[in-house]
Amino acid sequence: SRRFAAKSSVLDPPDVSRLAETARISISPEEVEEFAPKIRQVVDWFGQLQAADLQSIKPALRAADAEGDNLRDDEPQVFDNRDAMLSEVPTYEDSYIKVPKVLNKE
Amino acid sequence: VLGNYEAVIGIETHVQLSTSTKAFCSCPYNYGAQPNTSICPVCMGMPGALPILNSKVIEYAVKVGLALNCKLSLSSKFDRKQYFYPDLPKGYQISQFDVPIASGGFLDVDLPVEFGGGHRKFGITRVHMEEDAGKLIHAASGNFSQVDLNRAGVPLLEIVSEPDMRTGIEAAEYAAELQRVVRYLGVSNGNMQEGSLRCDVNVSVRPLGQLEFGTKVEIKNLNSFSSVSRAIDFEISRQVLLHSQGEADQIVQETRLWEEGAQKTVTMRKKEGLADYRYFPEPDLPAVTLSDEYVGRIRDSLPELPETKRRRYESLGLGMQDVLFLANDMNVAAFFDETIATGADVKSAANWMMGDIAAYLKNEKLSINGIKLVPRELASLIAAIKTGTISGKIGKEILLELMSKGGTVEGMIEENDLVQIVDPVEIEKIVNRVLKENPKQLEQYRSGKTRLQGYFAGQAMKETRGKANPELLNKILLQRLT
Repeated sequence: SRRFAAKSSVLDPPDVSRLAETARISISPEEVEEFAPKIRQVVDWFGQLQAADLQSIKPALRAADAEGDNLRDDEPQVFDNRDAMLSEVPTYEDSYIKVPKVLNKE
Repeated sequence: VLGNYEAVIGIETHVQLSTSTKAFCSCPYNYGAQPNTSICPVCMGMPGALPILNSKVIEYAVKVGLALNCKLSLSSKFDRKQYFYPDLPKGYQISQFDVPIASGGFLDVDLPVEFGGGHRKFGITRVHMEEDAGKLIHAASGNFSQVDLNRAGVPLLEIVSEPDMRTGIEAAEYAAELQRVVRYLGVSNGNMQEGSLRCDVNVSVRPLGQLEFGTKVEIKNLNSFSSVSRAIDFEISRQVLLHSQGEADQIVQETRLWEEGAQKTVTMRKKEGLADYRYFPEPDLPAVTLSDEYVGRIRDSLPELPETKRRRYESLGLGMQDVLFLANDMNVAAFFDETIATGADVKSAANWMMGDIAAYLKNEKLSINGIKLVPRELASLIAAIKTGTISGKIGKEILLELMSKGGTVEGMIEENDLVQIVDPVEIEKIVNRVLKENPKQLEQYRSGKTRLQGYFAGQAMKETRGKANPELLNKILLQRLT
């Protein structure tokens, strides 16, 4: 569901621990304390947008697109430098990308 | 089993589209190819690579949306569904969240005769476009898994049904009909075994009359329509049993796996609250805009769909068993349509196709397009038998030749001199000859063994190589014997 900005412009303070968890970034409790106000500052800077008058504006589906569709024909093309990409893989064995066993999706 | 309870079933189906390239890059997709051979920076999620939508994906999505009687969103968008998993290179799946390309449709289904028959209409909540993840294989031993990204980025359509099914059979038939539709449309080969059609079902039960839904359980790992049916029936029983024992609180919202060997569902993992996918509009892709003209063009190009075909075959006077058989495979239906287009009798055409032809296809492991028989010749065969030119028995022999070697009915009749003998004078001559050549049997017949009429008829048939008209032969034979 979409939240319209017409209501209260007060946002909850960022839950930095949870943000870090969902982004899989490990931070210390000290860093949580340090980052929370900084992140809040950035969000508040975007708050300038609240000044815009939206009364007569229809909600857009997404940010306006400069050009039209940008579609591609269904024509196959084999990428010619697979080796360069696969050489970047930390552990590539027996034609597979080897990864730790993870059984539960997020 | 159900007693005072009602089962509520919904199905989420993922259809892998049979486009030549992936959804957002030009990599080809070939099932069974060597691992990690069809990859590029886009589908591998390399930093800086940008997705470009394959125009065919929109076309196929619109086809399916229209075939499922949906309202199309003339303007829709892509969103990022974010989560971490080894088979998801970008750390997000490009999907459609709140504005799917199609929604609010329905699917007409005819239940098989052997399960009681009946017509059902199941609601379709939505249809949206998204990309597939790669393949993750867990090593049997050891603490690692293996990832193959060939499949990453392959276009999928997710089709979500309304919770309208009430039994395992209804659910299985819904899935079978979806398969039929996507095959008719040519957008997917809809193969459950290959993974181009995947079904996850949601099952809950509630006391009859209750409006509130019961706790919903998701079931995964269904590899065939029959396992869809059996898994659902098992799960319904499990839940009803718990209810009846006063242990309804043991039913928790979770994902269970269907174990084909043990024929039961087992806990996979308990759902720890709803997943937070942090959806936001995909900034790298523009909105998907459909014009009325584009949609109209696609609508006009749609083939006659299974439901329309079934109703048409019914109106031709065919029974439900025949209707379901003929409309199941679109190539069989096309063959049938062509045969009757030339004026062939509808019931005869249906009988030949469901009988001798179907048996041949099964034995030789061929599809209808793999046999040498053409619809025009089936029509000729039916006509030749109808006019009495050849007998039904000879017809069967000719059919076999036509299917395996091709040719024409007319040609075969001429070449092999198969025209039925219907001249009474000719038949009388044959009868006389047979009676003369079998004096002992004639003697036995005269002394009471009237069953020997069959023997004489057989001998006459042997002499004429099956060409004597059976009714006429027996009539004249009987006259000569009495």
